Amino acid sequence: MPPKSSSSKEKDLTDEDEVLQAVILADSFNKRFKPLTSGKPRCLLPVCNATLLDWTFESLALAGVQEIFVVCRSYPELVKAAIRDSKWSKPSLGLKIVSIITSKETFTPGDAMRDIYTRGIITSDFVLVMGDLVSNIRIDEVVRVHKERRRTNKDAIMTMVVKPSGVVHRTRSKGESAIFVLDAETSECLHYEHVTGYPPKKHAKIPREILAEHPEIEIRNDLIDCGIDVCSVEVPSLFQDNFDYGDIRRDFVHGVLTSDLLMKSIHCYVAREGYAARVADTRSYDSVSKDILARWTFPLVPDDNHPGGHSYEHIRGNKYLAKGNSVVLSRTCKVGSNCLIGAGTHIADNANIQASVIGQRCTIEANVTLRNVYVFDDAHIGAGSVIEYSIVGSNVKVGEGSTVARGCLIGDDVILGKNAKLGEFERVSRRRDEGEADESDKEDEDEQSEDSELEEAEARQDSESITAIIGEGSNAIVWPKGPRADEEDLDEVERYNNQRLMRIGDPASDLPLEYEGTESDSDASERESDESDLEMHALSRISSATSTSAISTSTPGLNIHTLHDAAAYSEFQAEVTQSLDRAFAEGHSVDNAAVELKTLRMASNVPLRKVREAVVASIVERIEVVEGDAAAQRREISKMVGRWGPLIDKIGGVDPVETIEVLQYHCAKSARLPLFGQILAALYQDDIVEEDDIRAWHARPEAKGEGLKDTSFAENVKRCWLVGTKMIEQFNEQESSEEESGEEDSDEEEQPSKKPAAATAQAAVGKKEESSEEESSSGDDESGEDDSQDSEDDAPATKAATAAPSQPSKPASTPASTKESEEEESEGSEEEESEDDALAPSQPAASKPSASSTTPAVSAAPSAPPPVPAAHAPALVSSTAAPAQPSTQDEESSEEESESEASDKEPAQTAQSQAPPAVASSKQPVTAPSKAESEESEGSEDSEEEEESEDDAASRATEPVPQAQVSTPKASTETARPPATITTQTESVATIPAAVPRPRPGPDVVGGQPLRPQQAAWRRHSIHFGDKVLKSGTTTGEKARRVVTTAGRQMKKGILTILRRNEREKQSTR
Amino acid sequence: MSADLHGSQRAVETLVSKLRRRQVVGSREAALETVLVLRQVVSKARFSNIDQLISLIRSVGKRLVEAQPKEHSVGNTVRKLLHHIREEYNTAMTGNASSSKTVYSISNFVLQGQPRKQNVAPKSEATLTLKENDPDDPDSFARVLKPVLMEAIQDVLDELETVYDNISKNAKDHIHSDEIILTIGHSKTVETFLKVAAHHRSFTVIVAETGPSYNGHEMARALSSAGISSFLVPDSSIYAIMSRVNKVIIGAHAILANGGMFAITGSLLAANAARVHSTPVVVCAGQFKLTPLWNLYHDFGALDFADPSSVLGFEEGNLVDKVDVLNPYYDYVGPELVDVFITNDGDHPPSSVYRLIKETYDDDDHEL
Repeated sequence: MPPKSSSSKEKDLTDEDEVLQAVILADSFNKRFKPLTSGKPRCLLPVCNATLLDWTFESLALAGVQEIFVVCRSYPELVKAAIRDSKWSKPSLGLKIVSIITSKETFTPGDAMRDIYTRGIITSDFVLVMGDLVSNIRIDEVVRVHKERRRTNKDAIMTMVVKPSGVVHRTRSKGESAIFVLDAETSECLHYEHVTGYPPKKHAKIPREILAEHPEIEIRNDLIDCGIDVCSVEVPSLFQDNFDYGDIRRDFVHGVLTSDLLMKSIHCYVAREGYAARVADTRSYDSVSKDILARWTFPLVPDDNHPGGHSYEHIRGNKYLAKGNSVVLSRTCKVGSNCLIGAGTHIADNANIQASVIGQRCTIEANVTLRNVYVFDDAHIGAGSVIEYSIVGSNVKVGEGSTVARGCLIGDDVILGKNAKLGEFERVSRRRDEGEADESDKEDEDEQSEDSELEEAEARQDSESITAIIGEGSNAIVWPKGPRADEEDLDEVERYNNQRLMRIGDPASDLPLEYEGTESDSDASERESDESDLEMHALSRISSATSTSAISTSTPGLNIHTLHDAAAYSEFQAEVTQSLDRAFAEGHSVDNAAVELKTLRMASNVPLRKVREAVVASIVERIEVVEGDAAAQRREISKMVGRWGPLIDKIGGVDPVETIEVLQYHCAKSARLPLFGQILAALYQDDIVEEDDIRAWHARPEAKGEGLKDTSFAENVKRCWLVGTKMIEQFNEQESSEEESGEEDSDEEEQPSKKPAAATAQAAVGKKEESSEEESSSGDDESGEDDSQDSEDDAPATKAATAAPSQPSKPASTPASTKESEEEESEGSEEEESEDDALAPSQPAASKPSASSTTPAVSAAPSAPPPVPAAHAPALVSSTAAPAQPSTQDEESSEEESESEASDKEPAQTAQSQAPPAVASSKQPVTAPSKAESEESEGSEDSEEEEESEDDAASRATEPVPQAQVSTPKASTETARPPATITTQTESVATIPAAVPRPRPGPDVVGGQPLRPQQAAWRRHSIHFGDKVLKSGTTTGEKARRVVTTAGRQMKKGILTILRRNEREKQSTR
Repeated sequence: MSADLHGSQRAVETLVSKLRRRQVVGSREAALETVLVLRQVVSKARFSNIDQLISLIRSVGKRLVEAQPKEHSVGNTVRKLLHHIREEYNTAMTGNASSSKTVYSISNFVLQGQPRKQNVAPKSEATLTLKENDPDDPDSFARVLKPVLMEAIQDVLDELETVYDNISKNAKDHIHSDEIILTIGHSKTVETFLKVAAHHRSFTVIVAETGPSYNGHEMARALSSAGISSFLVPDSSIYAIMSRVNKVIIGAHAILANGGMFAITGSLLAANAARVHSTPVVVCAGQFKLTPLWNLYHDFGALDFADPSSVLGFEEGNLVDKVDVLNPYYDYVGPELVDVFITNDGDHPPSSVYRLIKETYDDDDHEL
């Protein structure tokens, strides 16, 4: 009795009057398989020697579908012929297959759906799949569930089939995935957000209403979208109504879910059993083939129910040989595990075949090595060739001794000459004859656009180097590599870097991505403690038992952390050097390089200073030393600094003083010591450092090399300092009017930060971030920093800075920020305020006079927010670094003293990360925290409460939540409900901190539930991320009146805010 | 007529695809479906001599067997049906005269073929004269023979339907009071066998969980709901408890000509443990599981590998790429490990299975 006993469903379906219809979109609408798909549509590519269309038909037939419409666009004749000749059109199967040819103007699945609508062929609920589906899921079961739901809820228009996989899974596309927010009970899809692999997506915005309206939701980023949708009849008409819907997921699903007008709902079917995946790109081609060979698709396996009708014999080690003795294997050839060899194939002596699929009637000659190669029918691989991780089209002839490196795609009918050497990710196709080229010119527009690429490729075929690649006597042309010229016009998903994540054999390890695959122990333990932390928080009754357990989990986490950090630094250093080398070599734009660095920094969790050191070091080392010719040397330096200098300021914060110091220390170690002065001058020329900065640097004890042991290094440092001294002398000479002396540089520093100009504000933000980071990491030289932000009357900072001197630093920045926030009406600032308000009162030293207006970190609510990743980086860094380095606690506490380490990180982090601004209430300036009693301070009280409880939790768990922040807006009556921002590491299971949207108590209403702080009960949102269930709290209180008008106003404002925010973010991510 | 043919063709194709898609699983269910389809085929068939009919049935049988070569009962049923049809035909053609007894001797024993069945009195008296290839009325042959054939097919069907009862007939002779029985998997045959025995005796059953399908859970539930005291134990403890077990009773997927069998994964473990403790291994199986093949254990694929998901979750993304999971559905248990087969045709040691097969099927049909 084999498994999968599932019968009789079919009968039920056939008994029904309605015929179950299915629509196959047999066109891919993209070009990921080029050049394999020039000449035939993707759905006719063989996977395990059966065309994709066959697999799709089989998947549908399994579900008892009786009528199938195949929508084809490119090469419709081929598709039609394939259907006609296949077993599927036999009348005895009882399958009615109709091919529909849509016009060439069909560019997206949306267009195809509109075409289906106009044809009016759909009569009832139908199954919509793409023509590249491999599945053994019981779709009839999905249809049944869908129909049942439809009986009670007419608005449930669609059911998407998703399959849980791990966070990292070969079949789960890294380049194209999605976050699904599901209702845990009904599995209604509440929110859909598309995720691209590159640039890595770190945020998902979940509308607040969802959290309010659904007691339990799952936020999942571990689902494979199988591309199977059970749709009701309305779906095509919705496409018709919304002419701009292109992609089914990104546009249609997203559109329907976010629309306030449609009032339709979409559900998900989470398939626990069965397998389903799409062959959407070459990487998934590889993984799906492997899944088939590993029998995940059972009973759709080659030896059992091969859709192409071939029969194979299953041999130990998941090897499949065609039955009927037509395969000729030489005695000495080696066929490794997970191989499939088609009928009529000959494999000669000493050939080595590993994890490959070989088509029918192929010839593999002696001494050939194939690893992870997919060879289509009738191919001929010449003796001694080595091919890896590639796809070889049908009828290809590979000459003797050729090498095909990983990731190559060889189009049909290509002939490679002797000793051809294809590099990695090379794509070759057959050179077309003149006549053919002319013919294709007449073809439609789309073909032409693709032809243009082809022609471009053809144009550059003359050179000798090409012959070296493809060998003598080849008929091949080599396609251009790298991003296309019109890259910017492309859809985000189709861009080069994202596509790299989707091609076969590309590990994409040089792309700065983050995913949990490299998750280290410390991360895991961190998350664990987070979890317990949240759990407790949510429960709000903290039993001693749980708290002790939390401590025990967090303590080892701490130790591991320290070790991990040390390892991370060295790893990071190497990574940065590599990525900069590449940037220099390939001439990336400064912005791109900066983004790369930022992501690296986040990935490795290192302070900003390290990045600065690395960048400066790289630039300095790149400068060529020109002996003897001072002018040439200067030119060299200015060229280098001019090109790459700006990078120094773009790594996430601007701190020229530190830059100089870093430069000094680097030069002191380097052979380019003599260049220090010139480099400094060049930096000065390019406005990367200002005169004041030089003075500030010069005044610092570190600059003089104090505290260093008397070695040659200290001497070199000293020498650099002397160079600086000379420079300052020059300044003094030049600007005699300037009265400030080196001793007063703190004043000079102060001035720019007072300027209300946006740019300066931003700089201030940078400084702020940096300083906090430095404190947490190196903690050696921020006295100067502090000074720079402190008020003038501040005592000269020393290392022993205490709370007293550092507190006044906050008021200093306050005026600017107040202005700022008033002008901008930025809600972000408000959010931060609420966080910081919470902080302020809890500081014993809060008796500062000016603290009554707003709080210091508001300066981080800039008009022009720093790029989002940048905002997050420090958050991550500080949150993780802090517990790891207890030695720096002093510095920390000087900032925000009374708080326990961890909890004080949390708000700081939130404040920093909440950079995108939102609407602030100008009418109700957040008067501050003279604490608890007064009505107005309820907010702060609440947030304080939150703070405290967080504190509680955090002090047990020591580590705050690093990965996700949900903004806690201070929900004054004016405040709109912004979408909660949840940060995820792109491919990861994200956690949500305790601070999950907790509406502010008071008379206002969130989600119809009025809240009161004192008796706040914690309503729990359990949020499923992957397998983990995290609990977070929301306050609910007793009922009060609902203020309808306020709600309306809020909504309007909310929408505005979202729009604005989206815009900003777009800008900032660019 | 062509429409009828079409109809039966359709039925064949439906069964073929169901077998391929594993929508019909389990040897008895597959056998039943096969008989039903063949009945349809025979009833619709046009033939004017026996060879036409037989080649028709064989071609259908071949199609079904190829659709699912691992469901051996399909082929067995086809063979058995062919055997019956030939028998009926012989009886009808020659009347009682054919039952002229040949003398048994060692020298012609093998050639003799069916020693017992030929002695059975013909079920129907074919008084009508049968004429093959009648040029005047080509359908006359079919017309006369069909009712007889349908009766023969009905016999096969009846046998399948009553197989559990017939096997259980002698249950009380095999199980004694206060015995401890070990079983594995969820075989309907064994379940009925034990339940019938429980009417007469009180005994204890230890059920192994039978990973990775964990059919043992159902088995234990079914037995204990029938009032049999049953224990569910993990597979790993089979060896440990074997010393206390009096008898191992297991089901089979297919019984091979050499006396070996295919049975659910874990059976080999149980049988080997039993061998070490000299505990008798009793196999309960219907006759339709007798398969005229014997070298299948050379054939790795015959073990029928299922998907890895019951062993390694698909969610384990990190492992899926690195681990090859083999999840065979059956174990091959050699004849030396089995003590007795209890079939609906009596009890037989493994060494006489070949004879049973010879009796049940015609030699010509071993290769369909």
